[in-house]
Amino acid sequence: MAVLLDVQSVSKAFGGLQALSSVSFTVGAGEIVGIIGPNGAGKTTLFNVVTGVYAPDRGRVVFRGEDVTGAAPHHVCKLGAARTFQVSKPFAALTVLQTVRIGALNRIPDMAGATAKALEVLELMGLVAKRDEPGRALTVMERKRLEMARALATQPSLLLLDEVAAGLRPNEIQDMIALVRGIAAGGVSVLIIEHVLEAVLRLSGRIVVLNHGEVIAQGRPDELVNDPRVIDAYLGEAYSLA
Amino acid sequence: MTLAVAILALALVLPVAAGPHLLTATIVALHAAFMALAWNLAAGYAGQFSLGHSLFYGIGAYASTVLYVRLGLTPWAGMFVGALLAGVVGTLLALGVYRYKVHGIFFALVTLGAAEVAKGIADNWAFIKGPVGILLTMQHAPRDFFFLRREPYYYVALAMLVVMILVSLALERSRLGQFFLAVREDEQAAEASGVDTYRYKTVAIGLSAALTAFAGSFYAQFYLYISPDTVLVFEPQLTMMLGTMVGGAGTALGPVIGSILFSGLGEALRNLPFLEGTRQVVIGSKMVYAVLLIVVLIYLPGGLVTLGQKRA
Repeated sequence: MAVLLDVQSVSKAFGGLQALSSVSFTVGAGEIVGIIGPNGAGKTTLFNVVTGVYAPDRGRVVFRGEDVTGAAPHHVCKLGAARTFQVSKPFAALTVLQTVRIGALNRIPDMAGATAKALEVLELMGLVAKRDEPGRALTVMERKRLEMARALATQPSLLLLDEVAAGLRPNEIQDMIALVRGIAAGGVSVLIIEHVLEAVLRLSGRIVVLNHGEVIAQGRPDELVNDPRVIDAYLGEAYSLA
Repeated sequence: MTLAVAILALALVLPVAAGPHLLTATIVALHAAFMALAWNLAAGYAGQFSLGHSLFYGIGAYASTVLYVRLGLTPWAGMFVGALLAGVVGTLLALGVYRYKVHGIFFALVTLGAAEVAKGIADNWAFIKGPVGILLTMQHAPRDFFFLRREPYYYVALAMLVVMILVSLALERSRLGQFFLAVREDEQAAEASGVDTYRYKTVAIGLSAALTAFAGSFYAQFYLYISPDTVLVFEPQLTMMLGTMVGGAGTALGPVIGSILFSGLGEALRNLPFLEGTRQVVIGSKMVYAVLLIVVLIYLPGGLVTLGQKRA
């Protein structure tokens, strides 16, 4: 399996807080990889480093064979890694179609072609009926779908999803799982950060467990649920509360 | 579409019916609408709220005038040189300012400062006659953009505005325009959508600066006198902002409506019986402008063009 994303010993500190310490993992073509870990484990920071929002203090990020360490976010997107934001960032005053078309224009320079692509993605995400609504008028679920639609419209080879199931109702989570499976079946690799364990355990072929900015374990979901380190750091807390 | 044709037809025959006073007022309104749309390109569509557009207006006015007075270059060509120059200055300014991640209110202040610096330079630059300014001769020389009658100026102002509206509409329907909107709405999300925000912010300022310069050149040819105190002060900037904000920023029609409203209001206030003398008129109209701006921004934050639209 060809390696699509190769994160090599990445470290990042904010002041005295070591958000990431020597984190390494890979995402292969066609894989769905999950990243789990308790709050403050460094999951979103990791996304921000991979997508160029932050440059790491040490380490390298290689995407499709190109060193993108510290590259601008739009460059990483053009190379084919598109992300969603944990706190969704809709273009509040723009319509759903406009928003998704902006993503599509990334690879399709003409408006008609980009519009067609945007509508195709909106169809997939079940947002066609909302095409003329402004971003601010959407519900939480719709905003998450819009985030994914915008990212997908850029035609990525790697989709990075930041907490797309969080805040959704159980039936919506089922829909979201089906959606992500559909996207992956279309040949897009997925790197997913998720608090909703059910979603991440069912979706991911492989899971990376972060705690205090370090990778404490990685492997198949069925291996990890029995790993005492993981139970201690994350599952224990979550399951005992549940 | 039919409405647009009807308005244009009306505008074309207006000089036949209008007296000199109304014609002058209309020229002022068309000119204001043009520069409002030029500013709107950066501020309305791309969200880059420049307060320094008088700098580009001044560059336009001075470039065409100085080139004519010193080298005999016709202002018809000089205004394009001015636009190019303003475009370059705007682009360089943007490259520098955005390089250091200056945005929002700080961007507004830096651009305001840049215009102030330009005024300081102009005031102390003997080659362009410093604070005295440059007087152009009233003459009949159509090839050099001088007319004795008002009608030709009216048609030039009208043509400029029509072109500017078409440019705005074309922008709205283009990839560039969509990227401007993305930058305005959320820079982080724009970057995540593959939009190079640094580049498109810079393009927005450069383009807007170049177009603003045309208005400056027109001002010089119409009023036949420019000085740092007339074109490099806050006044042109205020004209652009008032029309745009009240009419509706980020639309092709709003700034036109707003500018015509303010120009008309300015005329009406000039003739009010209880306002005597220039000083009273200036202060009085500014107070009315301010109140109108505040009322519109509170009750119609999208500007007058959103009147009648449902609130989202």
